[in-house]
Amino acid sequence: MIPKTKSLVLSLGLAALLASCGLSPSSKEQDHGIANEKMESMLHSRSDSPVHTIVMPHDEPAFPPGSGRDEFVTACVVCHSPRYITMQPRFSRATWLSEVKKMKDVYGAHISDDQALKITDYLVFINGKAGTGQGPKGIYGE
Amino acid sequence: MNRRDFLQLMGATSVVALTASCTRNSSVVGTLSSPVNLARFPEKTEMILLTDRPPQLETPIHYFRQDLTPNEAFFVRWHLEGIPTSVDLRTFRLNVSGHVRQTLQLSMDELRSNFDPISIVAVNQCSGNSRSFFEPRVPGGQWKHGAVGNAKWTGVPMKSILDRAQVKAGAVDVSFNGLDAPPLLSVADFVKALSIDHARDGEVMIAYAMNDQPLPMVNGFPLRLVVPGWYGTYWVKALSDITVLPQPFSNFWTDKAYRIPSGPNGTESPKDLAKDTVPINRFNVRSIFVRPDPDETLHPGMPTEIEGVAFDSGYGIRRVEVSTDGGATWVDARLDPEIGKYSWRRWRALWTPTKRGQYRLMARATNAVGDTQSKEQWNRSGFMWNVIQQVEVKVG
Repeated sequence: MIPKTKSLVLSLGLAALLASCGLSPSSKEQDHGIANEKMESMLHSRSDSPVHTIVMPHDEPAFPPGSGRDEFVTACVVCHSPRYITMQPRFSRATWLSEVKKMKDVYGAHISDDQALKITDYLVFINGKAGTGQGPKGIYGE
Repeated sequence: MNRRDFLQLMGATSVVALTASCTRNSSVVGTLSSPVNLARFPEKTEMILLTDRPPQLETPIHYFRQDLTPNEAFFVRWHLEGIPTSVDLRTFRLNVSGHVRQTLQLSMDELRSNFDPISIVAVNQCSGNSRSFFEPRVPGGQWKHGAVGNAKWTGVPMKSILDRAQVKAGAVDVSFNGLDAPPLLSVADFVKALSIDHARDGEVMIAYAMNDQPLPMVNGFPLRLVVPGWYGTYWVKALSDITVLPQPFSNFWTDKAYRIPSGPNGTESPKDLAKDTVPINRFNVRSIFVRPDPDETLHPGMPTEIEGVAFDSGYGIRRVEVSTDGGATWVDARLDPEIGKYSWRRWRALWTPTKRGQYRLMARATNAVGDTQSKEQWNRSGFMWNVIQQVEVKVG
C-alpha cells in the first residue's frame, strides 16, 4: 500500500502540472487526487467468494460560493455528482433553465419554481456562456 | 517528468487521478483523442472521467488498436445513482415472469449448466457517443469517440429462456430491468423493452461473460442483456427481471428519453425541431480513427499506416475510403478479415506524405446495403453521431 504522504506529493505534482499548462488555478476545477485504499486490493484480484463487492470512489468537485448554491446542492447533488454540470460546455441561460425544468418535470426532481430559477442563476454563474449570465465568465467548463 | 510518465505513476499508485489536459478539442475537426480527466474505478483501468456518480467513463482511443476492447477499459454509462456495488451469487436470481405459463427464477449456475451457451462478438455503443462534436452543442454526457467497444459476449440466447418460460399467445413486448435503483421515488426506474419477435430472434442474449471473463461490476455484473447492432441503451446491465407483456411497453425511458427524429439518420434542424420521434434503435454506419497517435508527428517520405475501425448494425462494412487532403481525393483502405457481422472491422491505409505541413485526414465507411456516413448531422439529444471523421495531423 502506498503511504498517504506519497499521494499528497502526487497531488502537489498535479497542481504543478496544472500550473504548467498556463491556466490560472481559479479557472480550473479544484480537483484533488484521492487514494482509495480499499479499491487498490480489488483491482488486480477477483475473489472466489460468491459475494462480489466493489467500493466506489467518492471524489466530487467542490463548488464555489454563489447565489443559488444552497438550492443547487440540496436539489441536484442528492441525485447526481456536480460533475454533471462541469462536464457540460458553457450553455446559455435558456439552455440551463430548460435543463433544470427537465430535471423537475421529466426526471422528478423535487424543485419549486422559485428554486428552479435560483438553481439556474447558479448554473449560469458557474458554467454559463459569456455575456448571458449574471456572473463573470463560467468558472468551470471549457 | 513528462505527462505520460506522470500518468503512469498516478496509475501505478492507484490514485484516482484527475488531471487536466492542456489541449482543447474543436468541434468537428478534432485531434484523435485528448483526455481531460482521467480516473480509475474498481476493476477498471485509467479511463476518461465524464462523471463519477453515477459513473460515466470513456475508453481512451488507443485501446481500439485491439479488436476486442479489454474489459477493464470498456466504457461505462449508468443512469441512476443507485448502481449495484455488491451481488451475492448465492441469492441472485434472474426472474422471468408476466405473460408466460412458467415463471422462472434462474441462478447463475442454472444459467450456465441448463442452457446451451452461445458467443457473439458485437459492438456496444452509447447512443450519445461523440455527442461533444455536435454543433450547436447539446446537453448530455460530453463523450468524444470512446463511448463504444467491441467484445466477445458469452451466455444464453434470450429465445432459449423465453421458450423455457413458455410465452403465451398474444405477447407483444418483453421488458428488462436491472439491479440499479432510482435515488428518489419520483424518478423512473431504468427499464427498457424489445418487441417479442426481436427478443426471440436467437441473437439477443444474456451475457454472463465478456471476453471470457466475468463482467466488471460497472459493466453489468453478473448478467447483461446483449442486443447486437442496437444502441447500448438496450443492453440492460445487472439484468435481474424479464417481463413478457401482452401490450406495448411504456415508461419514461422509452416514451420520453432515448428518442430520435423519425426522419433520415435521426437528423433535425435546431431551428425546426422534429415533431415526430421514434425510439432510438439500430446503429448507423461509422468509422473511428485509431492511428496515427494524436501527438505523433509524421515525416515526409516516410510510409505511415493509417488505421481505424468501422461498423454498422450488422449488414457488414464493405468499403472504407480515406482522404489525406481534406476530402478532395479518396483512396480505398484495406479491410481486415471480418470477425463477425456485429463486430467492428479494422481498416488500414498506407500513406506517404511528400511535404511538410498540416494535413486533414478523413475516413468514410460504407456498408453492404450502400449506407454511408453523414456530411452534416444534428439532433437535440446528441444521438447517433456518424459524421465523416476529420483529424488534423502534422508532417514535419
